[in-house]
Amino acid sequence: MSYFTAASLDEALNVLREAKGKALIIAGATDLFLKGMPSQAVDIASLPELGMIVEEQDYLSVGAAVTHAAAASSPLIMVKAAALAEACAAVGSPQVRNLGTIGGNLVNAAPAADAAVALAALGAKAVLCDIDGRRRVEELGNLYAGYNQSRIDSSREIVLNLIFKTCQFNEGSAFARFASRRALSLPMVNVAARVGLENGVFAEVRLVAAPVKPAPTRLFKTEEALLGKEPNEETRQMVEELASAEVKVRGSLLRCSADYRRHLIGVLAGRVLMAAVRRVQDKEES
Amino acid sequence: MQPETPAVRELISTEKNYQSAEVWTKVTGKAIYGIDLRLPGMLYGKILRSSHPHARIKKIKTSAALKMPGVRTVLTGSDLSCSPYGIVINDEMPLEPEHVRYVGDEVAAVAAVDDKKAEEALKLIHVEYETLPAVFDTGEAQLPEAPQLHENFPGNVAWRREVVRGDPESAFRNADLVVEGKFHIPQFHPAYLEPVACVAVSEPDGGITLHTAVQSPDIVRDLLAQVLKLPLSRVRIVGPVMGGGFGGKVYGNLNLYLISALLSMQTGLPVKMQLTREEEFTAGRPMVAAEIKMRMALGNDGTFLGREMDLITDNGAYSAQAPWVSNTLAERNDSVYRIPAIKTKARLVYTNKVPTGQYRAYGNQVANFACESLIDMAAKKLKIDPLEMRLRNCVRPGETTVHGLQIKSCGLAECLAAATEEIGWTKRKKGHGYGLSAAIHASGSVVFDPNLRGASARISLELDGNISLFTGEQDYGQGTHAAFSQIAAIALDLEPSRISVYSKDSLVTPYSMGALGMRQATIGGKAVQLAAEKLREKIIRTSSEMIGEPVIMENGRIRSASGRQVDFTEIAHYYHGQTSGLTLTGEGSYVPPESSYDDTKYGNIAVTYSFAAHAAEVEIDPETGALTVHRIVAAHDSGRIINHLSASGQIYGGVAQGFGMSCLEGYLFNEGRVANPTLADYKIPTALDVPDITPLFIETDDPEGPYGAKGLGEIVQVPVPGALANAVADAAGGWVTEMPITAEKIFRILSNRGAAK
Repeated sequence: MSYFTAASLDEALNVLREAKGKALIIAGATDLFLKGMPSQAVDIASLPELGMIVEEQDYLSVGAAVTHAAAASSPLIMVKAAALAEACAAVGSPQVRNLGTIGGNLVNAAPAADAAVALAALGAKAVLCDIDGRRRVEELGNLYAGYNQSRIDSSREIVLNLIFKTCQFNEGSAFARFASRRALSLPMVNVAARVGLENGVFAEVRLVAAPVKPAPTRLFKTEEALLGKEPNEETRQMVEELASAEVKVRGSLLRCSADYRRHLIGVLAGRVLMAAVRRVQDKEES
Repeated sequence: MQPETPAVRELISTEKNYQSAEVWTKVTGKAIYGIDLRLPGMLYGKILRSSHPHARIKKIKTSAALKMPGVRTVLTGSDLSCSPYGIVINDEMPLEPEHVRYVGDEVAAVAAVDDKKAEEALKLIHVEYETLPAVFDTGEAQLPEAPQLHENFPGNVAWRREVVRGDPESAFRNADLVVEGKFHIPQFHPAYLEPVACVAVSEPDGGITLHTAVQSPDIVRDLLAQVLKLPLSRVRIVGPVMGGGFGGKVYGNLNLYLISALLSMQTGLPVKMQLTREEEFTAGRPMVAAEIKMRMALGNDGTFLGREMDLITDNGAYSAQAPWVSNTLAERNDSVYRIPAIKTKARLVYTNKVPTGQYRAYGNQVANFACESLIDMAAKKLKIDPLEMRLRNCVRPGETTVHGLQIKSCGLAECLAAATEEIGWTKRKKGHGYGLSAAIHASGSVVFDPNLRGASARISLELDGNISLFTGEQDYGQGTHAAFSQIAAIALDLEPSRISVYSKDSLVTPYSMGALGMRQATIGGKAVQLAAEKLREKIIRTSSEMIGEPVIMENGRIRSASGRQVDFTEIAHYYHGQTSGLTLTGEGSYVPPESSYDDTKYGNIAVTYSFAAHAAEVEIDPETGALTVHRIVAAHDSGRIINHLSASGQIYGGVAQGFGMSCLEGYLFNEGRVANPTLADYKIPTALDVPDITPLFIETDDPEGPYGAKGLGEIVQVPVPGALANAVADAAGGWVTEMPITAEKIFRILSNRGAAK
């Protein structure tokens, strides 16, 4: 195996181009041993242009090489995209969070990747660049080819950053996961929400759960039922019921039964929704 | 140099917290573990394992592997001349010649110049199997139509025991209350950090030296000599530092040892072998799984009248120590309380799964899960405080239990009182659940090998005035050697740091049963005390001979009535000169009285018994069943505590392990294959999961143990499952009867009660 640490994006793209499909991008590599070693690895985790968290007007751009630890402790993300900070703080262990990157989390394409679930709820889009220098912007949902399989071809394209609208004054977001152990544990479920309130009622809701399908899955029916409703205990209970009814999930010997997983998605959906609402209310009160 | 911080200096400043030099090598990463060993010219061995749960081997072709560059030899079962062997039942071969019985069974082995080549060569070995019907369930395995795993064991029952004490029939007939339950306990692996590793060296005299860290090297040495048909004196075991054992490395991995020895004898070169983590889980020897049906008879006032147990343990494909573990599982808990009538039926059943063995506490802890849950079920029905009920029935000093155990020192009632007081039993936090559990564990078995009940030690005065202690008792983190230095230090009036302990070479250390059955501190420690006392006498005698007047020994100094002082160096040199090179040596042997064990296994089985009571405080998320264990208070009667720091360490570690076993761990199977053979999926607790643990010591003064001490290592885990099951039941309103106690199982209880949302 050859290992190349790229000093610039151009250099990384050049190596990919010359390797003609034999080299793969790595960024954090915390799952590399599980997935098998590529014959050539191009490490982009230390590229400065991919490590930035930038706010431009109402948008936040998070570089693909931003580590989970950096995202979890970024004041910008904590304030303007709390769900992402919470999700990144929940990943693996301190060692994994210090090495693993948000772009890596996405391209790894695990069905219940914490950061991916939060980004999906925030409505993030990925900016990609291929070896011919072509750039494109993709919805997160379009990046999954199947369970643990990404559409992103790491031998010829690189995720540069994730872009999403920051949570405005009337908006809030939250993330929650449920696992059998407090660290180093894949979640049985993880759920994230982004809400916008107007005149005390839900005006906008994005509710995402995993693992339901290969990609983080929006619960459209539950979202729709919430519009115009007041955030209160009754609504929370409604969300619990709707969310668990809306998802079709699988059980697994190693994690939990399908019934329990469905129940947890309901409970966590209710919780993240109310937590996101509280974030709006806190802003309004202060 | 010891990298001590001021805080550490403070911690170990008292004699009660003395730590041996080896501890520092572990902390600083300098310790040499089995896995680190490298010898010149060394080969690497790997094992080809069965991919079928049950099959006949029709043909094995090894020629391609043998031709591979770098491969030195390939062995199969048909190359072996040994007979089936076993620890209890002779049902196992190092490499199975024709019949494989689980996914992981050893089929062939390769020795090559490096790890990778050995691994690659395995792929070139072609095995033709004829698959056989397999059985994974202990119930199905006992049916007449079930496939037979071993010829001599019809119905696949490897071992059985039925025992009746007192009059259980009338106990149940006259009972005011009968409670019953069915409990399911899966296999558990100790998940020590260092997988079993060894280097076998075939010696010019035809013998074998095996470098491996194992809890009972002398017993392993006996077995190796027997299976390899070597004279005992030609087998030597040398121990590197052990990276965790927890009862799972009493015998290390015998097949691994035998295969590496055979590969080394074949090639004439040292052969290193080590299990991968996956092999540890799939082909190690986890603790037996158990199905327990239990009934208990009580009087209205909460008095225990009798107990019935129907136990089926899952042996897996071979027996290892499973018969012994099943026996302890079946009966040890009967002696925690006064239970006048017992009826127990136990069967150990072969299945086409990973063979099982032992883990810390020999199954006593999983029986505790059932027994203590049942006690609280009864307490709830009778509306008696679980503490009150335990105090009413618990065993007391001077009593003989239902199986004939003679209880000398016993602080169980005090442990129950202390644990509940500390946890706030009567000052409960709202919404929290509280649970209690009690335990007994034998310290120093005299029935394990009735011909070798005790221990011996040898202690010498070196020329520099320091002391060398030779013992066969193993220290793999429990602090045994620090405790031995302390025990000898008391006898010799010296600082413990002047006494070095050697235990790691079977050529020079006294024979010992090793680290099992909480015997080392009690029996081994007693031998050290006796040896040190003998040396003390010899030192005094020699000194007075040297200076020609009577002397006394005090504070490590020797002086005569006339005021003449002699130091240890002087005496050592004097004796050295007088004998042309000998050192003053004390040999101590402690031989406990024979057991009164009869044919029904009634009788006193150990030198003494340790006791414990644990109290747990938990909280449950009513919507999900998620469990938070806030605290476990562990009150222990292990007699006089020799070393407070080591003893507390045992409690922290053992309780954390007990918590993992109770709430997180356990084997999962898919058609006989281990479904969670990695540390990612077999979840042991992380630092974030371990609850707050409070050790408490109720120091009784045991008449047998050295300076009143009793064993501690195993019993620390025993009360944990019961205490947690009861705390969870207190919070959830019902018992989880299947280990581990997961959120989903708790949620099911909440749902059934309609309490869950």
